[in-house]
Amino acid sequence: MVISFFFDNEQIFGQKAEEFVLQWVTIVGGFALVLGVFSIVRVNARAVAMKSRDWPFKLMTVVSVFAMAVPAMLPVSKSSNGGKVLFSIIPESWGSLFGTGPNSIYDWLFNYLDSPMMETMFAMLAFFIASAAYRAFRARSADATLLLLTALLVMLWRVPMGEAFLRLFGDSVPDYINTFIMNGFNVAVQRGIIIGAALGAASMSLRIMLGIERTYMGKG
Amino acid sequence: MGFWERIANIDRRWIYLLVALSVTLPMIIAMKFPIGLTPEAKQLFNAIDALPDSSAVMLTFDYYPSTIAETEPMSVAALRHMFSKDMHVLTVSNIPLGGPSIAERVTRAVAAEFGKEYGIDYVNLGYRANYVAVMHGLASSIESIFMSDNTGTPLRELPMMQNIKNYDDLDFIYVVADNATVDYWISIVNAQYDIRVGSGVTAVVAPKMYAFVESGQMTGLLGGMKGAAEYEKLLGKKGTATRGMDSQSLVHLLVIFFVIVGNIGYFASRKKEKK
Repeated sequence: MVISFFFDNEQIFGQKAEEFVLQWVTIVGGFALVLGVFSIVRVNARAVAMKSRDWPFKLMTVVSVFAMAVPAMLPVSKSSNGGKVLFSIIPESWGSLFGTGPNSIYDWLFNYLDSPMMETMFAMLAFFIASAAYRAFRARSADATLLLLTALLVMLWRVPMGEAFLRLFGDSVPDYINTFIMNGFNVAVQRGIIIGAALGAASMSLRIMLGIERTYMGKG
Repeated sequence: MGFWERIANIDRRWIYLLVALSVTLPMIIAMKFPIGLTPEAKQLFNAIDALPDSSAVMLTFDYYPSTIAETEPMSVAALRHMFSKDMHVLTVSNIPLGGPSIAERVTRAVAAEFGKEYGIDYVNLGYRANYVAVMHGLASSIESIFMSDNTGTPLRELPMMQNIKNYDDLDFIYVVADNATVDYWISIVNAQYDIRVGSGVTAVVAPKMYAFVESGQMTGLLGGMKGAAEYEKLLGKKGTATRGMDSQSLVHLLVIFFVIVGNIGYFASRKKEKK
């Protein structure tokens, strides 16, 4: 990918070289997912076998992994890979239950179990943020006071009721917040962070490529 | 214990109860405050609106189910806008957990409103691992990365895909995301392949994106549920984001109230300690 950024790959390596390498990268990425699944099953299955603390939850994790993955991987018709074997055992009309398409088992589990659970977990943040704001967001110093006032203004600006309140002080007040806070101070700071992070990533990449940084291999 | 000390040490369950009431009450009693428009939302809307009818656009579903309240209304509004202009919509997801399923559900529901047909008016590519490689790969050939769509149908069998082979055949990429993939749509796809990218992101991600909008690398931005409500207003069709604005308004005001009361209590108890 580094080479492809600087050179004309079609001329140097031939037309299909880049496509081939990128396909290869996505396949490696797929194997990384498989490795992740293998790891979560191994760790949790061992905990279940040893009946360690909270083992019923770990059993649920393993069952959930297979409940989602197995129907999603099964062939959807006779023409799919392995379809002839499966549909010689079960009726082909069952094929719509497999794969990841609409009305499949995977789709049902996702829409009616997985998705609501994730949404619920995230929604609970509203309660914790409100409680944390009450207890921890204090104007202890000049910096904290500045941050607090800015946060309050942005919070007001981001909702219609707050916007209506801000307009009591002048019709252009919400526009000023967008112009001076979001497109002014915010952009200046974000640019600094983005450029700093990019320089950090470039130097870390160089260290890895030159063999100086080896902690990712478990070495110091 | 004085009044402010009691207030400072209030049982957190009272806070939770007030938050719950602030979320649920506006669902029963609508308040209907006007939704102000930001230049960034207008820019994104105008960019899509200015595309010729029947253009080919890509819409990404790079978000997890956890942020659906903010992101899904953006996808729905974008699809309504695109289908109303008879655009050909290609959806893709760089999120393995849910992205393709959300794309399937949302796209089919909105397509049904407009009588659009799968394979002719829209196609869901689904997910492939390693989004950096996917974004690069789509530039040379979509079929080299996605040989089939999300349900396993080979792309060569889908009529819409006969005319869409890579980024050169797309007029716009509309990214809806709740994570860092949006950075790569800018740094890889916009910067290296020169295709216009606009985005709708969660309120947490939005502040970073202002830098890209101002530099011209991003064509318009929707931030959080408010951004989605702005797009719905521009489109002239109210959706879940507009309805959610009342709840979000009350919760924001409640948090502001808590911060102010918490600080008064803090300073009052500090003054008492000094005495």
